[in-house]
Amino acid sequence: MYNTNKTIVAVSVAALLTGSAFAMSENSNGNAEVSAKIDGKYASNYAEIIKNADGKYLDKAVIEAILGEEATHGRNGMVGKLDPANPYSFEVDDSIDGGNHGNAQCKIPKAFVEVHESAAKNYFDDDRFVARGFGTPIAETALEKWNISVDGDGKGLPDPSVGMTIEEGGQIYVQFCAMCHGEFGEGAKGYLALAVEEDLVTSSFTDPAPMKSVGNYWPYAVTLFDYIRRTMPFWTPNAPYIGDAGYLGMAGYILQSNYLVMDDEGTELEDDTFFNSEVLMKVNKYMPNQGNWFCDHRPVIHNARCMTNCPDDQVGWDGTGDPTQYRQARKLPDGTPQYNVPQRLHEDKPGVGHAGM
Amino acid sequence: MTDKMEEKVALQTDASRNQGRRAFLKGSAAVAGGVMFTQAAHASSGFDPKKAVAPYAGKAELTEVLQDGAARKSLGFGVRKYPYGMPSPFEKEVQRRTLEWLTPDSMASITMSPIHQLHGIITPNGLHFERFHGGVPTINPDDHRLVIHGLVERPLIFTMDDLKRFPSISRIHFVECPANGALEWKGIQLNSVQWTHGMMSCVEYTGVRLSDLLKEAGIKPEGKWIIPEGADASGMSRSLPVELAMDDCFIAYAQNGEALRREQGYPIRLVVPGCEANMWVKYLRRIMVHDVPLQHREETSKYTELMPDGTAQRFSWYMEANSVITYPSPDFKMQGPGKYYVRGLAWSGRGKVAHVDVSTDGGKNWKEAHFTSVVLDKAWTRFELEWDWDGSEAFLMSRVTDETGYVQPPMPQMRKLEGTNNVYHRTAMVTWRVHAWEDGKSGGLIENVQY
Repeated sequence: MYNTNKTIVAVSVAALLTGSAFAMSENSNGNAEVSAKIDGKYASNYAEIIKNADGKYLDKAVIEAILGEEATHGRNGMVGKLDPANPYSFEVDDSIDGGNHGNAQCKIPKAFVEVHESAAKNYFDDDRFVARGFGTPIAETALEKWNISVDGDGKGLPDPSVGMTIEEGGQIYVQFCAMCHGEFGEGAKGYLALAVEEDLVTSSFTDPAPMKSVGNYWPYAVTLFDYIRRTMPFWTPNAPYIGDAGYLGMAGYILQSNYLVMDDEGTELEDDTFFNSEVLMKVNKYMPNQGNWFCDHRPVIHNARCMTNCPDDQVGWDGTGDPTQYRQARKLPDGTPQYNVPQRLHEDKPGVGHAGM
Repeated sequence: MTDKMEEKVALQTDASRNQGRRAFLKGSAAVAGGVMFTQAAHASSGFDPKKAVAPYAGKAELTEVLQDGAARKSLGFGVRKYPYGMPSPFEKEVQRRTLEWLTPDSMASITMSPIHQLHGIITPNGLHFERFHGGVPTINPDDHRLVIHGLVERPLIFTMDDLKRFPSISRIHFVECPANGALEWKGIQLNSVQWTHGMMSCVEYTGVRLSDLLKEAGIKPEGKWIIPEGADASGMSRSLPVELAMDDCFIAYAQNGEALRREQGYPIRLVVPGCEANMWVKYLRRIMVHDVPLQHREETSKYTELMPDGTAQRFSWYMEANSVITYPSPDFKMQGPGKYYVRGLAWSGRGKVAHVDVSTDGGKNWKEAHFTSVVLDKAWTRFELEWDWDGSEAFLMSRVTDETGYVQPPMPQMRKLEGTNNVYHRTAMVTWRVHAWEDGKSGGLIENVQY
């Protein structure tokens, strides 16, 4: 069963969406009152406000004039940017209407007015365009040889008649992949693990970053097929002796190693499952982490340019206000001291730095 | 070195005699006082060459000049000794470097530019940082083609000569891996600006506008996304919204006046000014115009940012405004109290740099630096600020404000919002701790510390 993590952001997306009848029509008359709001929340005359501020669309005062002061900082600001009506939002409303299983899109925020003006000049409004005729026409069918792209909707996948059982895929995986990624996707020799069960929530400074892999992180299963057919095996990618059937089988084996499911009942992939593009698209709908993604939230942080006696929360370790509280470098993973410290102490002659770098 | 140095007191002027050696050691405040004295004595009489003497008063004077060496006493080498010129062998330590424990092999790895050893805003081609996902191919440009297809009226294929026939543009832009600074998410790891900020370079590109080529193929209104793809083993792909592609992207065939280097995508690469270098697809051979993004591995599994609550940010295209002090920085050691010119680099993925402020007290107080280079859109900008170091412990920081009004944040603010597992886009300020001059053997050491 697909299960949305109960995170602040994911919950807030749902809350924002229920009442959002995307009302960001262009402000064509240009005479909107300063208080005019989009969805009762954002200034609809944002373009005017930005223009009056010399185009400074990321200035603290400008952002707060458009978004309001209370919802612009920290986690709250991040949540606000998930509302497509927010002129600073990268979110596209139909990526969310399409649900967690659609091909999510992001956009350039409306408030980035100079980007849109430039694109209009170079393309959308270019009515003087005349083709130069310097290229050579080519048939779209001729490009099938090169076109190996499979998008998030599954466009570009092989015909459902192509595939193999998970067990057969596992045999190919062991032959071509296991030496670097481990027999069960656990990783080897420093190469990436493909199947780990790690919680993505670790905020402790000293904890190692959680490992991200297909099951606990990837939003799309189709990406796996696109990627391994495009790039693997590392030393001879897109190998004809593996072929679409083999790449599907390997993808199926990796998905099975992640215990991924393909329906509401939680049916897992069996060794004798014939893995083809249809089964792949089923798994694609049930990727566990798919609901936990959002488009670029930056810059939620927008500070004023303080010059003298700046507030304590801008100074020192964790904003304690004390510049003598700080963290220092750790030793290298092999236990040796920091790069070129003896040189900088003038104990060693200048040289190429830490051995092996 | 054959010179003989004799203990000899330098000639002194009236002004410098009043200062003496003790005043010199006390630093520039005393020098400033001496200058004032001199000014009073020679009011509005223009340049006074005698002022040049004061800071040197009390220093021993050399009495024998350097002997002529081989450079003066024999002929140098002739033309075309090196048909393609190389730096002096004495510059051999200026190299791009890697950390071999970062990646399991060198074909999917990265090197950093030695930005503490660079000057101005242009990175030489041989020192441009490298990031490969499947090694560097050596492609014959005569065999290379660029195809534009998908949601277009007229799929087209171009030779390299075709591309050079189009109107050309030349632009200076920085190119930055979004993982630049990533080592610092988990605290300080390494003491060199090459490691903290070297996953970037800034060069002059020449090429053809992407909008010119896309219009040439007749992009259809339903074509909302541009999906470039490389001809290398990684088949690198990303997805760009059409507004971004039409803004200021171009396809470059030249870098700093010559053809692109193989490490940077020879024969052609995409240039997406201000955006993650991962999107600047190298060895470009295909642009598919599409209705939806690809959701490629490099924009889902990688180049996405994990937040503290387990959610993840995707399609984070723009590189935020950023800055770093390159001198003094951890590769250098202070030479004693006195006057320094703090200098560094500032850049923004959203336009021009507007201000750079420098703090020497860990961010409590700031002074505006001036620019010593041209200020260009989405390019490195050089800043410099005069600083009188009194020899006590100092905390050097730089903070950029770009023309959009965005102010570079301190690290605690970014860490509070984004946690420490983000990997990419760590663009908050860094801090160089200058050890007090009297601090034993580490006096004057410059150390990377984190707030």
